[in-house]
Amino acid sequence: MTTNPPPAAAPAPSAARRALRWLFALPPAYLGTAVLLLLAAMLRPQLLSMFLLPLIARQAAPLGLAVIGQSLVMRARSIDLSSGGVIVAVSYILTSGYFPVSDAVAMAMCVGLGLCVGVLNGVLIVKARASSMIVTLAVAMILLGIVIALSQFRAPGDAPEFLRAFARQRWWGVPLPVLLWLAVLVPVALLLRSTVFGRYLDAVGANPQAAALSGIPYLRVIFVGHVASALVSVICGFILVGFVGKGSITLGQDLALNSLAAAILGGVNFGNGKGGMAGPAVAAFMLTFLFNFLTSLGLGEPGRLMLQGAIIAAAALAWSLNRGRTS
Amino acid sequence: MSDDGAARLPRSERPPPIELRSMCKAFGPVVALRDVSLVGQAGSVHAITGENGAGKSTLMKLLAGVHAPDAGELRIDGRVVHLHSPAAARRAGISTVFQELTVLPNLTVAENLLLGREPTHLGWLGRGAMQAEARAVLARIGIELDPQRACGALSIGEQQMVEIAKGVSTDASVFIFDEPTAPLNRAEVDKLEALIGALKAQGKLIFYISHRLDEIFRLCDTVTVLKDGEWVATEPVSALSADTLITLMVGRPLQALFPPRAATPPGEAALDVRRLTPVAGDASASLLLRRGEIVGLGGLEGQGQREIMRALAGVLKAADCDIVRSARDARSAPFDPREGAVRVVQQGIGLIPEDRKLEGLYMDLSIADNIGLGVLRGLGLMRRARRDRALLERIAAQLQLRARDLSQDAGELSGGNQQKVMVGRWLAAGVDTLLIEQPTRGVDVGAKAEIYGLLREFVAQGGAVLVLSSDLLELIGLCDRILMVRGGRIVGDVPAASASEEALLALALADEPVAAKAAAI
Amino acid sequence: MRSIRSGISVYTLGLPVLLVVVLGLAIPSFLAPQNLANVSGQITALLIVTLGQMVVALVAGIDLSVGSVISLASCLVATQADPLTGVALALLLGLAVGLVNGAGVALAGIHPLIMTLSTMTFLQGLAFLILPIPGGQIPPSLRELANGTLWGLPQPLLWCALCAGAVALLLHRTRLGLHLFAVGANAHSAQLNGVRTAGVVIAAYAVCSLLAVVSGIYLAARVAAGDPSMGAAFGLESVTAVALGGVQLTGGVGSIVGAITGALSLGLITNGINLFGVSPFLRGAFTGALLLVAVCVQRRRSVGL
Repeated sequence: MTTNPPPAAAPAPSAARRALRWLFALPPAYLGTAVLLLLAAMLRPQLLSMFLLPLIARQAAPLGLAVIGQSLVMRARSIDLSSGGVIVAVSYILTSGYFPVSDAVAMAMCVGLGLCVGVLNGVLIVKARASSMIVTLAVAMILLGIVIALSQFRAPGDAPEFLRAFARQRWWGVPLPVLLWLAVLVPVALLLRSTVFGRYLDAVGANPQAAALSGIPYLRVIFVGHVASALVSVICGFILVGFVGKGSITLGQDLALNSLAAAILGGVNFGNGKGGMAGPAVAAFMLTFLFNFLTSLGLGEPGRLMLQGAIIAAAALAWSLNRGRTS
Repeated sequence: MSDDGAARLPRSERPPPIELRSMCKAFGPVVALRDVSLVGQAGSVHAITGENGAGKSTLMKLLAGVHAPDAGELRIDGRVVHLHSPAAARRAGISTVFQELTVLPNLTVAENLLLGREPTHLGWLGRGAMQAEARAVLARIGIELDPQRACGALSIGEQQMVEIAKGVSTDASVFIFDEPTAPLNRAEVDKLEALIGALKAQGKLIFYISHRLDEIFRLCDTVTVLKDGEWVATEPVSALSADTLITLMVGRPLQALFPPRAATPPGEAALDVRRLTPVAGDASASLLLRRGEIVGLGGLEGQGQREIMRALAGVLKAADCDIVRSARDARSAPFDPREGAVRVVQQGIGLIPEDRKLEGLYMDLSIADNIGLGVLRGLGLMRRARRDRALLERIAAQLQLRARDLSQDAGELSGGNQQKVMVGRWLAAGVDTLLIEQPTRGVDVGAKAEIYGLLREFVAQGGAVLVLSSDLLELIGLCDRILMVRGGRIVGDVPAASASEEALLALALADEPVAAKAAAI
Repeated sequence: MRSIRSGISVYTLGLPVLLVVVLGLAIPSFLAPQNLANVSGQITALLIVTLGQMVVALVAGIDLSVGSVISLASCLVATQADPLTGVALALLLGLAVGLVNGAGVALAGIHPLIMTLSTMTFLQGLAFLILPIPGGQIPPSLRELANGTLWGLPQPLLWCALCAGAVALLLHRTRLGLHLFAVGANAHSAQLNGVRTAGVVIAAYAVCSLLAVVSGIYLAARVAAGDPSMGAAFGLESVTAVALGGVQLTGGVGSIVGAITGALSLGLITNGINLFGVSPFLRGAFTGALLLVAVCVQRRRSVGL
């Protein structure tokens, strides 16, 4: 087989064109946030006040954390929808007094639970090759069912004081949950950039077959991603329990789908390693701000759900079209 | 759809059923067909032959409506026609039996035969009619199969017969068979040949793609030879002999592409494959790969060379193996590639697969990332991944990489540079044995020479390379030894310095008489 | 004969039989006519939805939105005074949802799980919009269709028979049915044979959504009210039932009998849980565990999503 000589290079596009192309190549979250803030400034400027903005950021912290976990698995072409189940289980362990132990031990038990869930997900997905969406949804169902059943005997009670205080406090004006979010985000971002795991994750996402053929332990990468995601869900549970002040069986039920939407909006698509961790973080803030904004405009639960569904579909469509164009 | 005016003309003055003019087809930067023209006459069996990669299948896929030509004209009965889909080709009267089976395992024989043109009765599926028609078709061809049996339960040969029956049962005027006899036993081959004879007698045009010279000489009236995507010759079969046909298929000017072979003899064994059975129940192969030498694996497509490569790389789980390996700074030890690719790579063996886009490169990652992944070989997950800029630049220089800079996406590079990046990854990993499939597929001439040079350099420093290639000239020029594979077995171990294309091709082809003759060349 | 694509084995047929025997022996009240009527009523809705999920599974797809379609259908008929308008609207909706799902999967190349997850969320919101809390008014004519007996046979059985019969006709007596199996086995080969794969996939999702609508109307008529969260569990339950019935989630293998036995098994297990006095809230946990087992048993080559 012979080849043609390579075609002459196209003339370099103008600076304005390049800037525009760069803008549209950015994850939708950045543009979206800018547009959103603009609209808010026009219609509901009080949302941008120094009073409400930190509160919205604090509210976004659990989603921001969940998105970190979700990004780790999505980059490896998997997904984790079990966070709802883990959070409810965490809330029950901490608040029901079912286990007569100190708060610290209860929290340690929650971490243990997260580890077990992560390992279970990982093993089923990697060894049995079951579909990750079905596995994680089923695990969430199991956890939710057990917690609800137990709640009939022993209702959830008050959250540990430590967590309630944690949710309330601020250091240097920044709410502690936000600091915790950053405290997880920054090391994870650094880890992804500088460790072998991070590079392997890029490779597995870019081309899982090539990764397998070139001796990269891609199954281990996916497994670790799921364990990490489950542990992150535990942390989300801690924060949410602190917010609400007591246990609840409806806690964090929409976190899984929201983290999926935020990840896609933040530029992390299945197998796409290009988006850093900043995009999803911005997207988490954007979604939280969006829901607050729409609520202030009168949007109720129905509208929120419809919007969620539309966002996921639109983002998936955009990614699909984009991929079709470049392949 | 017939042109009544043409049908009324005497046979000799009617336009030919198929005429291809200046067909061109490229897939990306790779040109598969360049300016190929031929004419097929009614009532004849027209062979299309050539080496691997000559463009035979591509040409027939253009006729079958699977691809659209980039340039050129297809005339059916004298009229220019554009075929947009396999269904359109069928409607135009062209029926194709593809090389890959398209029978569906979960459908019955009858359902497969009539898929896409099922008889309906008032809108409902006419199962009775389907059974009857299926039985009639099978009887006509002389196949004894129960139309109610699921195709998944049939042998490969029987599935191929169903495939053939499907192709033959339409009311087409042009039939294409792409390597139809590969999975068939003697009795089935006889049936096929009788079938083709019958079709020819009915005045149909049959295109027959094959390597098998005995079949070409026995069945066909005309033969068209393709080479490197170009038309070489179209001759009546009666005017040719096996020798002249082979000569037409091979023999291009040898370009000064290849670096000189090593002056020093090879060292000890890097891989001593005493027995390797890639697929359970199939043949075993044994070979010896020594340090300092480049060994080639050649043969017609699908003869088992790929399975051998992939089994050695740990990608295909071999059924059985007995291999001893000695890495560069280690003693010899038993080696079991069945432990998986991760272990194989850790032990210093790297695979460069044939399909760069699907299995080899990370198209969306940068050159630096692609090569840099090699450095991570054997490291634990949480270890720091060094970004050794100096190493990457040294390797890029060694590869003679032509790119804007190392941060360019691998997907934007030309084929030759992409191939170099894959080699670069293993150089960075420091492996001592390379397994390469089709090292210069889709690579331009200049880069070819550079890649050959890289491989020679690699073995000069104590490495070992096993090359799988369907290009005989490449094997002769590049390798020290060439192993020809047929039916999963090594049928020849030829020193490249004294090998000729004819001799190698003869070893690879099916028939003994030709092989014996050519071996005497 | 066609058993290579039915997926039925000794286990799929034996499971419901085993369950009936075990439950009948262990719990005397199981075989009481009151309980049996109850069980059949509950299983009917699941069965109809499972038939639809089976059709989609045949083309290697999955439809998680069926739950929301059920809820939405029930809300629609509960808020329309005229039963005909309500049913017509609901069916139109089902068709639209199916077409959107199918187009997303077949034409835009979106993964079926993502596509149907997004429609599921959207439609759930729509259901809450139309009927925020359970209630509404089901016209008496509809209510009669779901309860009681007709010609001596319980109505639910007739609904099941009708739906199963319709799907059986589709699968075995139409070209589309044959094409469903073909596309599921190997979409590329099917296309080379002249099958319009995109159209077949879209049709599969449309059929699934329509059956979900029927199930939703039946449920609403049965409980005489609409409920926006009525169908929430049916998404994963129908997938579980389908997997239990020997239908391969990778496509090309499945049957009506399999869907029926799967739904039957799942329904009997649920009924058994209730009769044993186990907390009904654990039902979700049991279904989840069953789903895990069923999905792990089916071999797959790809890892992840």
